[in-house]
Amino acid sequence: MPGAGAAFRDGWRREIRFLRGSAWDLALVSWIPLLLLVLVAVQFAAGVPRALPIAVVDLDGGGIARELTRRLDAAPGLRVVARPADMVAARRLVRANRAYAVVLIPRDTERTVLRGETAGLTVFYNASYMTASGAALRDVGAVVQAHATRLAAEQGAAVTPGAIRPPPIAAHTTILFNPQGSYELQLVVLLHPALLHLLFMVAVASALGRELRDGSIGPWLAALSRREAAAAAAGKIAVYLAIFMAWGVVATGYLAGLRGWPILGSPMMILCGYAAMYLAYAGVTVLVTAVTLSMGKALSATGLYAGASFAFAGAIFPIESASLFARLWSALLPYTAFAKLLAEQWMMGAPAGVSVPQLAIMLAFLLVGAVAGLPRYIAAASRPAVWGRR
Amino acid sequence: MIGRAFRATFRAVLSDGTALMLLVGSAILYSFFYPSAYAGEVPTRIPIVVVDMDNSGSSRALVGRLRAVQQAELVARLPSPQAALGWIADRRASAAVLVPEGFERSILRGEQGTVALYGNGAYLLRGSTALAGVGAALGALGRDAATDQAMMLGAPAPPAFSVVQRPLFNTREGYGSAVFPGVTFVIIHQTLLIGLALLAATMRERHGARRFDAGELVGIALAFFTIGCANTAYYTGFVFWFQDMPRAAGGFGALAVATALFAAATVAAALALASLFRTRERPIQLWIVTSVPIFFLSGLSWPAEAMPGWLALLARLLPTTPGIHLMVGINQMGATLAEQRIELLNLAALTLLYGTVAAVRYGQFPARGGEGAGG
Repeated sequence: MPGAGAAFRDGWRREIRFLRGSAWDLALVSWIPLLLLVLVAVQFAAGVPRALPIAVVDLDGGGIARELTRRLDAAPGLRVVARPADMVAARRLVRANRAYAVVLIPRDTERTVLRGETAGLTVFYNASYMTASGAALRDVGAVVQAHATRLAAEQGAAVTPGAIRPPPIAAHTTILFNPQGSYELQLVVLLHPALLHLLFMVAVASALGRELRDGSIGPWLAALSRREAAAAAAGKIAVYLAIFMAWGVVATGYLAGLRGWPILGSPMMILCGYAAMYLAYAGVTVLVTAVTLSMGKALSATGLYAGASFAFAGAIFPIESASLFARLWSALLPYTAFAKLLAEQWMMGAPAGVSVPQLAIMLAFLLVGAVAGLPRYIAAASRPAVWGRR
Repeated sequence: MIGRAFRATFRAVLSDGTALMLLVGSAILYSFFYPSAYAGEVPTRIPIVVVDMDNSGSSRALVGRLRAVQQAELVARLPSPQAALGWIADRRASAAVLVPEGFERSILRGEQGTVALYGNGAYLLRGSTALAGVGAALGALGRDAATDQAMMLGAPAPPAFSVVQRPLFNTREGYGSAVFPGVTFVIIHQTLLIGLALLAATMRERHGARRFDAGELVGIALAFFTIGCANTAYYTGFVFWFQDMPRAAGGFGALAVATALFAAATVAAALALASLFRTRERPIQLWIVTSVPIFFLSGLSWPAEAMPGWLALLARLLPTTPGIHLMVGINQMGATLAEQRIELLNLAALTLLYGTVAAVRYGQFPARGGEGAGG
């Protein structure tokens, strides 16, 4: 009878020994997380889409239209890749994924503008590609607006002096907490922990499930008291907690240090959040493994549970207006609480105390998992009949 | 030979609960599970607050307009900007509208009445949805205000351009209809890849790695090809209709060709990948973590133009990248095969590439039993 402390250390060493001898299991906690984190980081490093391809259908052909086309092409967010003769050809370009939007300059635009009237432009955008066409749309709007103002100053004033007035109502928009409106900050900050908690849960489900599959849970835990067996399992999980905490530090350090997105709240609280999130998923994994008693089924369940967190967390897509099921599912994901903590501590600069409820929510998952799952998992050590389920 | 391998593959799928669950069960499960996250479509009730410090006819008219904004719900009128920022900070509101003192006076004097809008950038999408609605309401109010100004000061010069924005194809413009039709093909791709690799690894674990000749390999590939086509037909035929996604814009022939090529490339990739594993659980363990990056790499939600060029090129080694463009193109945009030829060629090249890899790999293994390679 080794005592709980010794059992914990044994569990830890046993797992380290195993990882040393298994290249793929080691890969799952080393270069695979690195690869995925880098992939996401590189993909969104641009922050805002630039040089999005658009097409201009110029039915007018006058100087004003040509100047507008030139200005559209010169805008950093846009690139005029084609000037098809009509809308039929333009739609074909959009359907071939060669342009996200089409600016239609109607016949007689020049004459209308020179008469001091308003020429109606139409922008068609590919709503199937929402982010890209949304960004293109905003930039087209800004270019047209600027061009109109310039034209008004040149021509309108000559027609009726004093008739040039600014639009009666203007809105000054301020984006709080993410002043650049950067998708790098918004997405990478959330995608990194989304990947990490999934990898963590897969690693822990593999570690716990493997002992059942190979029947090694018997020799490992059967002779121990329940307290010692719990400590041994904790020692095993602690290996992954330590490794993935390091990945959490790397992810946070990359975005805050290397990319310079300041943490306005408490960095310490973000790391506590990572720890609480991993502990919560450890609790869920223990429960899932204890219920399925099968490594393969526990892994499949992990994919379903932790693989779709990003869609259900409500951080990007509002979950409040979704179905009751979706809101319930969202509440049952520790990642939802973590995403709230991250928004509070990273971007909104909330006092550390504000995020304590999120920590408490996450730790509740650990408690439930440990109470409901751990005894059944430990009991399986003395039930050879359930070993080896695939 | 081909027929026997085809039937043996189906028997293997049907007799393995986990593989059956992965290949067929999860496709059905995900078709109800995943869209539920977006069931609200355009989020109609994003809470906003207003601070009216002008308290004039114009500012009251503005507040009245805000009540009618479809995307947002006016949840409170607050006395001070500080209170409004407090509401945003603790997430009771996603956006705030501040009407400063002197708003109406400025308008009537022919100057600009300025409204300050605040959105929560920690929730970029929600904040901007609410602000877009508010912007539209301000535009409508601006037209009324222009009439008031005109009565006081005479008609103004009209602006040189007006811009009308028209969505093409996905006219519903919800998140669900922009995301789920792409996620669909990640689901089909991943379940096919993992299910096939799991069966292959199980076989190798029990009987050792063995060689498959061309006929057997074609039979196995055809069996999974059938499952891939069936899953795609289930989603494009039933799920998109049931979940009311934009659909059926293209011709049936084009859809059939696209489905066949997507399934072929995916099966070829799955066969090549499966030759690496020799432990049953390994493919699930190593491959489920790739789904989210694979989706973003496709360029549907984050344009390929905004990624480094080399990454956008590498992404084209995944069947999902051309597959999603092609399927969205044909299903939503009504594209023809000729218009989508780059994606078709991409998929055909991947089928060839991974098919060759698979043929070489399985041809190398010993004829009966023996050691597998890799994990």
